[in-house]
This record gives sequence, structure tokens and C-alpha cells, in this order.
Amino acid sequence: MKAIFLFIIFFSSALLLTSCNKVIDLNLGNQAGQLVIEGNITNVSGPQSIKLSSNVSFSSTNTYPPVTGAQVTVTDQTGNSFTCAEGPAGTYVIGQLAGETDNTYTMHVVTNGKTYTASSIMPVFVPIDSVTSAKSEFDSGKNKRKITVHYHDPAGIANQYNFLMYVNGVQVKRVLANNDDFTDGNTVDFDLREDDIDIYPGDKVTVEMQCIDKTIYTYWFTLMQQGFNGPGGGVTPSNPPNNISPTALGYFSAHTTQSVSIVVK
Amino acid sequence: MTKTLLILFILLTTLTAFAQKKYTINGTIKDAATGETLIGASVRIQELSSVGTATNSYGFYSLTAPEGEYTLQFTYIGYQTTVQKISFHKSQVLNIALQAKTDLQEVVIRANKPNNDNVASPQMGVEKLNMAQVNQVPVVLGERDILKTITLMPGIKTAGEGNTGFYVRGGSSDQNLILLDEATVYNASHLLGFFSTFNSDAIKDVSIYKGGMPAEYGGRLSSVLDIKMNEGNNKDFTVQGGIGLISSRLKVEGPLVKDKGSFMISARRTYIDFFLKASSDSSIKGSSLYFYDINAKANYHFNDKNAIYISGYFGKDVLGLKDVFGTNWGNSTGTIRFNHLFNNRLFSNTSIIYSNYNYVIQSFESNDNFKATSKITDVNLKEDLQYSLGSSHTLKFGLNILHHDIAPGDISTSQESSFNDKHVEQRYGYETAAYLSDEWKASDKLTILYGLRLSGMFLLGPGTFKTYDAAGNTLTSTTYGLGSVVKNYFNLEPRISGSYTINDENSIKASYNRNTQNIHLLSNSTSSTPTDLYVMSSNNIKPEIADQVSTGWFRNFKENTYEFSAEVYYKWLQNQIDYKDGAQLLVNQDVESLLTYGTGRAYGVELFLKKKYGRFNGWVGYTLSRTERKFDAINNGNYFPARQDRTHDLSVVGIYQFSKRWTFSSTFIYGTGNAVTYPTGKYNVGGLTTFSYSERNGYRQPSSNRLDIGATLEGKEHKKYHSSWTFGIYNVYGHRDPYSITFRDSKTVPNTTEAVETSIFATQIPSVTWNFKF
Repeated sequence: MKAIFLFIIFFSSALLLTSCNKVIDLNLGNQAGQLVIEGNITNVSGPQSIKLSSNVSFSSTNTYPPVTGAQVTVTDQTGNSFTCAEGPAGTYVIGQLAGETDNTYTMHVVTNGKTYTASSIMPVFVPIDSVTSAKSEFDSGKNKRKITVHYHDPAGIANQYNFLMYVNGVQVKRVLANNDDFTDGNTVDFDLREDDIDIYPGDKVTVEMQCIDKTIYTYWFTLMQQGFNGPGGGVTPSNPPNNISPTALGYFSAHTTQSVSIVVK
Repeated sequence: MTKTLLILFILLTTLTAFAQKKYTINGTIKDAATGETLIGASVRIQELSSVGTATNSYGFYSLTAPEGEYTLQFTYIGYQTTVQKISFHKSQVLNIALQAKTDLQEVVIRANKPNNDNVASPQMGVEKLNMAQVNQVPVVLGERDILKTITLMPGIKTAGEGNTGFYVRGGSSDQNLILLDEATVYNASHLLGFFSTFNSDAIKDVSIYKGGMPAEYGGRLSSVLDIKMNEGNNKDFTVQGGIGLISSRLKVEGPLVKDKGSFMISARRTYIDFFLKASSDSSIKGSSLYFYDINAKANYHFNDKNAIYISGYFGKDVLGLKDVFGTNWGNSTGTIRFNHLFNNRLFSNTSIIYSNYNYVIQSFESNDNFKATSKITDVNLKEDLQYSLGSSHTLKFGLNILHHDIAPGDISTSQESSFNDKHVEQRYGYETAAYLSDEWKASDKLTILYGLRLSGMFLLGPGTFKTYDAAGNTLTSTTYGLGSVVKNYFNLEPRISGSYTINDENSIKASYNRNTQNIHLLSNSTSSTPTDLYVMSSNNIKPEIADQVSTGWFRNFKENTYEFSAEVYYKWLQNQIDYKDGAQLLVNQDVESLLTYGTGRAYGVELFLKKKYGRFNGWVGYTLSRTERKFDAINNGNYFPARQDRTHDLSVVGIYQFSKRWTFSSTFIYGTGNAVTYPTGKYNVGGLTTFSYSERNGYRQPSSNRLDIGATLEGKEHKKYHSSWTFGIYNVYGHRDPYSITFRDSKTVPNTTEAVETSIFATQIPSVTWNFKF
């Protein structure tokens, strides 16, 4: 619910007037070496890839060792089977594929003697109408901008969306997921609210809109709830539920994709 | 059930059959100056050590003793003890007016009872605050706050800085029943928890039961916070108030009909928003951020036997940004009570109670406009009776029927909005209860308070009710008509506690009680938010059940100047509620599909030492405790510490009367950090650094500690008016108490991550308030 987020943001910023932040050292445990699978099948014809890596400890640098030598295949409900070839280390690629709406894709990963599977259904493609910028209500004095994506939600079916935003080529480090629980069948203006990168006139902003299935929405929405620190620290974090069995980190998502770029006015 | 009651009844009647000729004295104890009734004032017969009683919530007492000549002693904290010779040759009415002690140092921080009642009473696990205490304890921004003050007692933990939520003996914050003149207050916080809804000007008496709960209370697992409003002065008109940094308050009270009836109105409003209006930033200028509340009460005593009390509370928080969004939320309560004395032993109180909590969230942007509302409304009919059976039994029994009407969420929008109208079915239900308890002075040394409470829950139609499997998929969906019972539960709740007095200064107490809870707060945020959502027990949610055993040693030193107690407790919790990951609780028809159920346990030791008298007084409380939960779906089904688990908790309160005009006070707190979940690794998905977790709540936030000081300067004596200044410094040594810790990509060292600690009050916060009375 947009207004709830708005008002929590508002209250949080009021809190920040008196609060202060400090980087601290914490002695955190080390559960490194767990398998991470990130698989994406999109509706855009081209190479599709599944990346395998291991997680690392919190104190390490953000470089994740690839998991090499795995056997990765993707099947669909019509019986087609695509074998992935390992391209760059840990990246397993299907040379040419365009995912189709309502088709169920299943990933099979064999690594370290274990088989991991996950299925995802490609949703209906919903196009972006436009991406616009406007003055931010929270910072009207300083010329800051907020970005809004406009689209028309199809009526009568459950739709879920995930948005990625890039400002001058740098990805905004926030999860921005939305569904149509409150907006089914309407023209939707979804504000891509974030506090990672401040956006000003002249910036180039690219928005990627993905139509995702329900399980993947829960995955991103859980991460969004955890990343969002309202008063008191938000929800208790955990590894978000995903579609991979047996348990592994990451996800396998069949989704549509479309990107629109604008220059902020 | 009926069999048990019957046996109890036979037992009680046979006990009295052997009694010798006895007479009863009854009456009301009041403050001589204001006519306020005194709650919990003690009445004793000096010649018979085992015969004594205390006034009830309406100042009423009834005392029965064998024929004879006796000396009655009436005592109450901060009042001069009154002694009166009386002949028990006939039953009679004796109303007593006690004189408040003028010497201030005697008034502040004394035990609520100036005798050894804490040793002799069978009640355990109870803490009482008197308002003189609350007014002396330093608090943030000088807003006196009973909810902040009770968290300085052992076994009661604050939910954190800037949060009025509290946890009692390991229970969660929705397991506390908060009663204001018997009406349930659902959301006891203003400004998302920074201040409590209770304006201490309007409050007369505060008791919190954290164990050994008497049978007349029920409906929540952990505690009952019973708050009573002032009646109002029935002798003279007075006006008092205060002007503080963030709020001002005013109270008017006086007689309606002298000595027969009085009224009290007390109001408070914050004025942070006036500062916001002065801001040059247009977005801040157009925003609103304030709260206000009003307490009002009136009473009229028709005669010695009949009295009526009407009281109400109304509070509202408003927060918004002009043309963008607005929210407001608040409680309102109303209570009408009628006291009737059937005879000198049987006291009755009939109450009709109304309670409401609602919130409204609005978005004003033309293409995104909507209005979301939610409310819970209770109407409660209650009949409580108190009967003095001979000199050794006080019976309490009663019935209560409470109707819940919950509108979980409604969204209305205009045509051009991108949001749709949405309506979540309203829910109706009844909570019923019948109880019987007896305080039995079995001998000079042994007193037993035992009782039984039968609670019932009826979830009613109309509506469509679903059941869900563990994964949240719908199993069945059934539509019920108006008034048909969807689900009902009955629970029998035995309560027993007893004290064995070794001598005047030593006693041992023990208790067992079972509590059940049929209304549950759903909120997956750790702080108090206005979007609190309540659900009743249903075909998915079973009543929460807690069983608690506790035992303690109570010891007074130096003629009751010092009180010491050590209590241990163990609590078993059933049918506890937690949420699945990614749960979206707002305006969700299928909210019950997002829940998961488990058990819990809590145990601990509480030590309490209080100095009651003298120029220097105060207390030290220490708790060593553990509270854990177990859910199949969480932490691989293993026990994990609840967020509020706090191994060590220490609070020290000291008050020093330096001179007639100056009083200094200080509090120090130390607590183990909250149990929290920190990452044990990281990975990258969707281009974002993402953290991986292993155990639930396997880490600790850094411990918290803080020193606050305060001072009160009483104005010079005037005939017509009195004024005082209260000064305070919160967080004297500027300790950074961790509010939250977040993890993110480092802003300074590329390609690494960092932990960031946020503190709210990281520096000293001074405050000053001017109080007046005339």
C-alpha cells in the first residue's frame, strides 16, 4: 500500500532528524559455500542463462565464486528440452530461446552429486505505457525527482511485477515489486521510490519491467520487506521462500521483460 | 464445570455455618480534601491480627468480625493513619475520610501500602504505581508516562526506545490487557509509540498483574494493566495544568453537587506541528504531525447505597503531508458504571463499556487517491459482585459478555484512481466469561486466593469463512448466515495463589494460573503502528493458552521501610502466532492463510528491593529471564529466542528530597540487547547484494544502558495557587542505544558490505515543564 509506505518513509525521515548512524563492527557467523542459483528465462528471443555461485561470508568482498562443471537443462511443458552450455565460469547458457506465455519451464541442475529443480510459469506480457519523472514530495526544495512507471494492468487475472531501475547506467539497489491486489484492471502509476541514488534533472534513467509469476513475486516482495527499514527495523529477515527444491539460495524465474529509458526533466 | 462450581459453593456455605455471632461494618474511604475515593486502602482490627480488608476499586470496604469492642485502623499510602474505636454489637456504616500528609517527602515513593501487606497478601506478581511516583521519574522530553514508568519494574520490559509497547514475563505486546476504567485500549501509543495514550493528570491508580491473575480478569495471556481515572474533586473547583516542550495539558475538576457528585476533564495536545509550520521547506510546512487526548469523568452518589460513574476517553493522532497523504488514528472509550449496595456485605457493580479503535489512511494524489479505513468496536456488559462471607472469606463473582465488531479493512477510491474499491468482510463475535473467586484467610498465617474463570468465544456470521492448509491454500469455504455460530471455544481457567506468613516480615507465596486469549493482534512490524489489525479466534486460529507457575519470597526490613521480593516463574504458551515470509496483512481477505502456529516457554527470576520511606527512596529491580518460541515452519522447528528475550535487565530508581522545594530523581537502566537475526553470508541476485541467514534471532543487539536525571522545584507557598518546575535530562552521558542495525553495500569501500547502527536519542535530551494548580 503506497500511502503506508509514504507515511512510514515520512515518519522515518522525521526520526532521522534526531537519530544518527554509525558503521559498526559485528562478529558475524560464517555460513559460506552454500549454492546460489539465479535462473532467468525471458520472452525476448536470445540467449537465456542460469548462473551458479556460492555465497560468501559477510566480511568478504562482494565476489562470489562460480560453481563450475554442473549439468544444467531446462524443459518446458510441451516436452522440449534445452541443454545449457557453460559459457563464462558458472554461467550456463541456452543459445537461443524465447519464452512463451503460459508455458511452464523447469530447470534441472546437477552439481556436487545433487539434483536441484525449479519450475516457473511465464506470465502474460504487460507493456510499459510510459516512464515519467516529477518533483519528489519529500524534498521539494532541492529539485530531487521521483520516477513513475505507467502501465495498464489486465483485468480479471492476477499480475505481478518486478522493476529494475538504472540511473546513468548504475543499478538502484532496491527491490521494487508490485502486484495488482489493489489495482486489478486499472491504469497504474507506480512510483519507484528508493533512497539509494538521488535523481536530478538531466539524469538518464532506464526502467526494466518484468512480469513475474506468484512464487517469484513472494520472493522479491519478501526481500523488499526486509530491505525496507521502517520504524523499529521492519520484519525479521530470513532467506526468502523460493521455488528451488531441495533448498538452495536464489530463484528460477520465467518472466517477460521490457526496458524504457528517459532523460529526467 | 457446573459440578466444580457446586462443590465450591457447598464448601463455602458449610464453612460459614459454624460461624459465631458476627457483625459487619461497611463504608467508603475517601480523601478528606478532594473526596476522591481511595483504592486499596487498608482496614484492620488491631485486636484481631487475622481480620482485615482493603477497599475495592470504588473505595468500598466491608469487614465482618465476632461481637466485641475493637480498634479499627485505616491506612493508605501518603495519608495519615486513622484509628477509631468501634463496638461490634450491631452492623453499621462507617465512612472514613483520610487526611493527606502535607509533608511531601512522605508522599512520594512510598510503598502503596504503608504496612506489611506485600508480605501478607496472597496476591503475587502485581506491581502498583502511585501517581506521585510517576510524576517524579524522569522521562524523555518531560512527558510523564505511566507506560514508561512501569517498564522500570522487574519482569516488565520496554519494547525499545521510543516505543510504549511492553513485554511482561516474556509475552508479546498484544498479550497485555490494557484497561482504562475497565474499557480495553487497543492501541496505547501516540506518534507510533513515542508517547502513551495515558495523560497522567487524569490517572488515579495503576496496577499491573504479571502473574497470579485474579479470576475477575481475563482475555489476555501475559498481564492486565488496570488504569483508573480520577473521579474529580467533590469539594472545590481546581484547575491544574502544565506547559512543556512538546505539549501542554489542562485539567479542570470540581463538585457537581457538593459531597455527592463531581467531574473531571483533562486534555492534552502536542504542538510539534506549529514548529513544522515555521519551516521554510514547503514539504515540511504543509505537513501535520500532532496528537491530542481528552479524559472526562463524572460521578454522582445518590445515597450510601447507589452511585453512578460515567467516564470517557478520546484520543487522536494526525499525521500527513499536504496534498499527498493523510492518516489519523485513535481510541475512544466510554464507561457507565452503577454501584449498588444490596446489603452491608454484598457490593455490586454493573458496567456498560464501549471501546473503539480506528484508523484512516488517505492518499490525495488525483490518479492514486484512496481512503483506507479499519476499525474495531467492542460493547461490553459486565456484572461484578463482591460478597464478604464471614470474617475470613471475600467472594468475588460475575459475568461478562463482550461483543466484537471488527472491520479489518475497506478501501474506497474515486473513478480516476488507479486503485480499486476493496472490502474485507466484517467479523462479529462474542467473548463471554463467568468467574468466581474467594480470598480465604485459612489461618493467621495462611491466606489463599482461589478461583475459576470460564471463558467462551463465539465467532458469528454473516460471512464466508475459509480454512487453510499449512501452505496457505484454501481447504474449505463456507458461507454462514447472520448470527449463526461459525466456531466456538470454551476454556476453563483455574487460578490459585496463596501466601504463608512466617512472621510479620517474612512470607512465602506461590501461584498457578491459566489464561486464554481470543483476540490476536496481527502485525509483522516490530514497532507499534497505527495499522494494527485484530482477528478473533476462528476455525484457523485457536485460542492462545498460557499456564504459569510462580513462587516467591517476600521480606520486609526495618519496620517495613525496605521491601524485598524474589519471584521465580515458568510459563508455557500454546497456539502462538507468527507470520509466513512475505506476508501482506493489510486489507487482505485471506490474512489467516499467512499465519503459522507454534508454542513457547518463558522463565525467569525477578528481584526487587524498594526503600519506601525517608528523604532518599527508590528501588532496584533485576530480572534474569529467557523467552523462546517454537514453530514448525521457522528455524527448522527448533526453539529460538523471541525478539523480546532479554537475559539481564536492571533498573535503578532513586529520588532524593533535598529541601522543602527541591527534589532530585534519577533512573538508570541496563538491558541485554534484543535477540535479532543477522546475516551469516551474502550472495548476489538480480544485481543486488542479498544476505543469507541461518538461525532465527541467533544474535544480540548491543546491550542498552542509559542514565536519566530530573529535578522538581516547588514554587513558593501561595494561598491561591501552586506552581512547580520540572527539569530533566534524558540520556545524561549521551549513550548510543542501538535502535536498529542494517546491512548494506559500503558507501566508502567499493565491493564490500557494512553494518550500520541507528540510534534515535544519541545525545542528551533536556526538558523543562512548568506546572500550575489553582
